[in-house]
Amino acid sequence: METSREDIGIAIRSAFLSKETKQKFSLLALILLSVVLLFIETIEVKPLNYLRSFLKDSIYRGSIVVSLPSKVFKSVMLSVENHMDIYKQNIELRKKKALLEEKIIDPSFLILENEQLRKLLVDQEISSNNIISSRVMIDKQSPYLNSFVINGGRNKKIKNGMVALDGKYFVGRIVDVNFFSSRVLLITDLNSRIPVVIEPKGYHAIMAGNGTPNPILEYLPKNHNIKAGNKVFTSGKEGIFSPGIPIGKIKMVSEKIFLSLFSDINQITFININLENIKKQKK
Amino acid sequence: MASLFKRIKLKLLNLIPLFLLFFIALDGSSVIDFKFFSINIHFILVYFWVLKQPRTLGYGYIFISGIITDVVFGLPIGISALTLLIIAAIATYVRLVSVNISLVTDWLSFIPALIIANFIYFTSLFFLNYSVDYLYLLKNSMFTFISYPVLWLFFNALISLGMGKLHA
Repeated sequence: METSREDIGIAIRSAFLSKETKQKFSLLALILLSVVLLFIETIEVKPLNYLRSFLKDSIYRGSIVVSLPSKVFKSVMLSVENHMDIYKQNIELRKKKALLEEKIIDPSFLILENEQLRKLLVDQEISSNNIISSRVMIDKQSPYLNSFVINGGRNKKIKNGMVALDGKYFVGRIVDVNFFSSRVLLITDLNSRIPVVIEPKGYHAIMAGNGTPNPILEYLPKNHNIKAGNKVFTSGKEGIFSPGIPIGKIKMVSEKIFLSLFSDINQITFININLENIKKQKK
Repeated sequence: MASLFKRIKLKLLNLIPLFLLFFIALDGSSVIDFKFFSINIHFILVYFWVLKQPRTLGYGYIFISGIITDVVFGLPIGISALTLLIIAAIATYVRLVSVNISLVTDWLSFIPALIIANFIYFTSLFFLNYSVDYLYLLKNSMFTFISYPVLWLFFNALISLGMGKLHA
């Protein structure tokens, strides 16, 4: 019994401590180094941040080159898929065309909707000078973090917390800024919480990412009468984002409230960054 | 001349695991999500090669590939390196204590490796205030375990092509 215990001890010692042929480091040393790196990750000091930015920028560049074949393959597959869908799309477009023609005949719906949207957008000051555009470099979404890496960083005056838009639709916020790249945390991520307002009644809620393309709404008032199709906008309550940025519309699945995003997150190539909010804070 | 070509061929064959290790790290495909399936090929790759041919994958390379994975996925730097090294440590331990290695023994010993690595992974994420999807963890671990024999056969086929003869 004692011998087998000794054997286990010897095996563990040699597994962790001994360097085998052609191994330059022992496992224990590298495990300790990883733990130290994890602790360093929690320290926010300027020289360390510069070092991190340099490391991340270099790895992102390498990643772009390596993931080029898979990107090309993905786009080819997508175009083939699109081509196969043409017949289906044609039928859907015909239906949409018929619907639009109906709506043109009855513009009162559009007038009402326009009035409601104007009310929501009344505080928003949109200036094209404050929006910069950046290309998505890496869109490999980890199961634990739904995010993008874009090709703009401190060089484009991007800062943490800024709004990321797909066209005019809200898709996330900046969470990590390097010299030439930044990471956008998408609204679908588990860690994302955004204060929102739901039209037409103006209910306030928190939109929480759940790792799927359809985030959920939390902290809704008890006696709400939200219906499928109601539009959702940023409320601007936290004071960082501008109010009235469109996000998506309500989707009901067996009485549970989800959000169907206006933007297709899997198809984003360019991201618009709104520099405005940070400028406002500075003032 | 023929011997030189053979040596080059063997050298290239021996570099395949290393190439794969860095490719999946830089490409961000260490975790493959396909509809309901989710497989962590990084874990399988490290476990298999450290168990079978430790000379082809150095611990230093495993550490660097972990760091790259963390940067590409936007995770705290060091977390993947730590879990991959834990996987490597368990594989080394299993190699040292086993006499007969077969698919079944490899497969069964992969269970504690997965459990311990995922436990460390998610504990670290939890303490660093990252939200954790426990259901996803379970699904990923299950499918990684189930798909181990498939990759085991593929990697064994590589070995049978002549890998390891260079070191012998």
